[in-house]
Amino acid sequence: MDATAGKDKEKSVLDGGARKTGMNMRDLAIRYGFLTLLVGLIVFFSFFTRGFASPQAAVFILQSVSITGILALGVTATLVVGGFDLSIGSIATSAMMAAAYVMVVMEQNALVAVIACLAIGAIVGLINGLIICYMRVPDLLATLGMMFLLIGLQRIPTEGRSIAAGMTLPDGSTAPGQFSASFLALGRHRFDFFLPNLVPASVVVLIVLAILIWFFLEYTRFGRMMYAVGSNARAAEFAGAPVKAYKIWAYVISGIFASIGGILLAARLGRGDIASGNNLLLDAVAAALIGFAVLGAAKPNAFGTAIGALFVGVLLQGLTMMNVPYYTQDFVKGAVLMIALMFTFALSARNAR
Amino acid sequence: MNFNRRILGKLAIGLLGASMLGQGAAMAQDRPAPFDKPEEVEIALVRYLSTGDFFQAYLSGVEAQAKALGVNLRVLDSRQDAALQADMVDQAIALGVDGIIIQHGLTESMKAAAQRAVDAGIKVVAFDVNVENEAIPQIEQSDRDLARLALEQAIKDNGESWKAAYVYVAGIAPLDRRDETWREFKEKYPGIEEVAQFGTLDNPIANSVANQARSVLTANPDIQVVFAPYDEFAKGVKIAVDEAGMSDAIKIYSADISTADISAMREPGSAWAATAATNPAVVGEVSVRALALLLAGEDPGRSVIVPPTLITQAELNEQDIKNMEELGQKLPQFAHADVVVPDWMPLPPRD
Repeated sequence: MDATAGKDKEKSVLDGGARKTGMNMRDLAIRYGFLTLLVGLIVFFSFFTRGFASPQAAVFILQSVSITGILALGVTATLVVGGFDLSIGSIATSAMMAAAYVMVVMEQNALVAVIACLAIGAIVGLINGLIICYMRVPDLLATLGMMFLLIGLQRIPTEGRSIAAGMTLPDGSTAPGQFSASFLALGRHRFDFFLPNLVPASVVVLIVLAILIWFFLEYTRFGRMMYAVGSNARAAEFAGAPVKAYKIWAYVISGIFASIGGILLAARLGRGDIASGNNLLLDAVAAALIGFAVLGAAKPNAFGTAIGALFVGVLLQGLTMMNVPYYTQDFVKGAVLMIALMFTFALSARNAR
Repeated sequence: MNFNRRILGKLAIGLLGASMLGQGAAMAQDRPAPFDKPEEVEIALVRYLSTGDFFQAYLSGVEAQAKALGVNLRVLDSRQDAALQADMVDQAIALGVDGIIIQHGLTESMKAAAQRAVDAGIKVVAFDVNVENEAIPQIEQSDRDLARLALEQAIKDNGESWKAAYVYVAGIAPLDRRDETWREFKEKYPGIEEVAQFGTLDNPIANSVANQARSVLTANPDIQVVFAPYDEFAKGVKIAVDEAGMSDAIKIYSADISTADISAMREPGSAWAATAATNPAVVGEVSVRALALLLAGEDPGRSVIVPPTLITQAELNEQDIKNMEELGQKLPQFAHADVVVPDWMPLPPRD
């Protein structure tokens, strides 16, 4: 996000080739430490809880992180261009409210609801990008403002009520529509995968989006240019890259991913819930930051983000199965994040020497 | 239910005003001072919590009763800022209001502010916050009764011994009071075995609780009853039970109700068996009536309790109740509470 971090990142990229020849224990630890820890956790929980080592458990762990995971993938795109998006949580809850509003109040079908949500995500992302690039508002501030705006905006159409089929509208009448079955299927349908009815749609969406954004960032010219913009915007500009366009696209991607998260949330809950989405935001950012440490990348990357989200999911679901109270879970989440950040920045510092 | 009623209320007041311009004054004169001239009375609602259906409905109840009395209502909303809420009480004192309703808040921050209001000669009532003041009546929705009704139904449905999961987050006053009842029940019925406890207030709450519940159900597939004494918790548990395909094996008992809850309870094969609830709009009306009584120089008592109603899945299905509106119409004990209703008290129109 700031200039020094950008320089560090750049160095680590440059050093990458030279380092490969002399890989010692420390390199190995930094590179594979987090993945080893993840495997260790899974083994630990498999032995100490009932039912953890089952395909069903694997699936619901993925399901529990699918929404924050999707948001995290979106925020990764903004981190890549050296930005940040604080509004993803509220974009997700706004999309959830919009989906509910379109179906329950406006009596539209699932397709219209999905399109409306995606449009909201894209438009909000576009506005974020324009404000940041053309009005020169710092990213944290612009998206913070957008966050508050959306938290308020999502409540205006219903005067602060949650949306559910059969709700009473502000004008006293009863809402005529309801959640369409095909929309609910997005959150509830399960695909057969070796076992019947195993994999929920949300997990499939997560995996597909993760592969898409990973491929996009790592292997397309567009994605590589986004990294270039993130590590040194000025150099990229001198090289003739339309820096502003790349940045704006990053926010649009982030907005669309967040709105997909919101669609899945609405489909799972079956109603439009008044919520700020701040917990979604924090969990997503945590997953993306943990991702810095995966494979010693020391930079935002889609694979790391997915592993980061999975790591948090395994940890929290495992602890819940062991009947550990909720407040220790936040503590554990914080501890994991701290360790991950130390992994990352210890590595950067070493490279800077 | 709240809105229709509010609109009806508006209509009724409008009609009343239009048709009784002449006699209206005479009617108001039958009431004790200061309600013989209600337009000169101003009351303030100082809120700590406002987001969500419950608080929205509470507000609509306050508005309806204030309108029925014909007094001016001022709403000050601190949005979960304890310090700001105390400042808002001072603001209300400075505005020279006649009465204040303190809705939720923290004892520590509100105690001194409430005392300042009392010292300034302002009548004060408090809803769901203990301000430790003899002069201030407490309006309560009796969380202990809520939990008791739900648990009694659980005993009735499942006998006296079952394996239970319990959803609870400590430090939230109503949940703490419901927790007391749960402890009592566990002592009274040693056959109830609590095999797991979980809970979180991470929003959206239902989604976070669903994730937790899913793990708990996998680790303890022999759970028969989930006691989730807050409807957001119950909603989350129901999602998890559905996803785990365990709807036949598990029954959920909860507290509170909303339109969304009703449809969740009525889904075919729903595990959500019963909930106990107080109508938040009624609690809002009672809050204003208790304050009005104080202003008229009468004593509503140290604590005013609004009794809860048990709502079972079977009842909802039998009477085909689809939303809060119909719940109020078909279960009159839910729609109205004859609490603090002296003869002179004008009530919001009942439909």
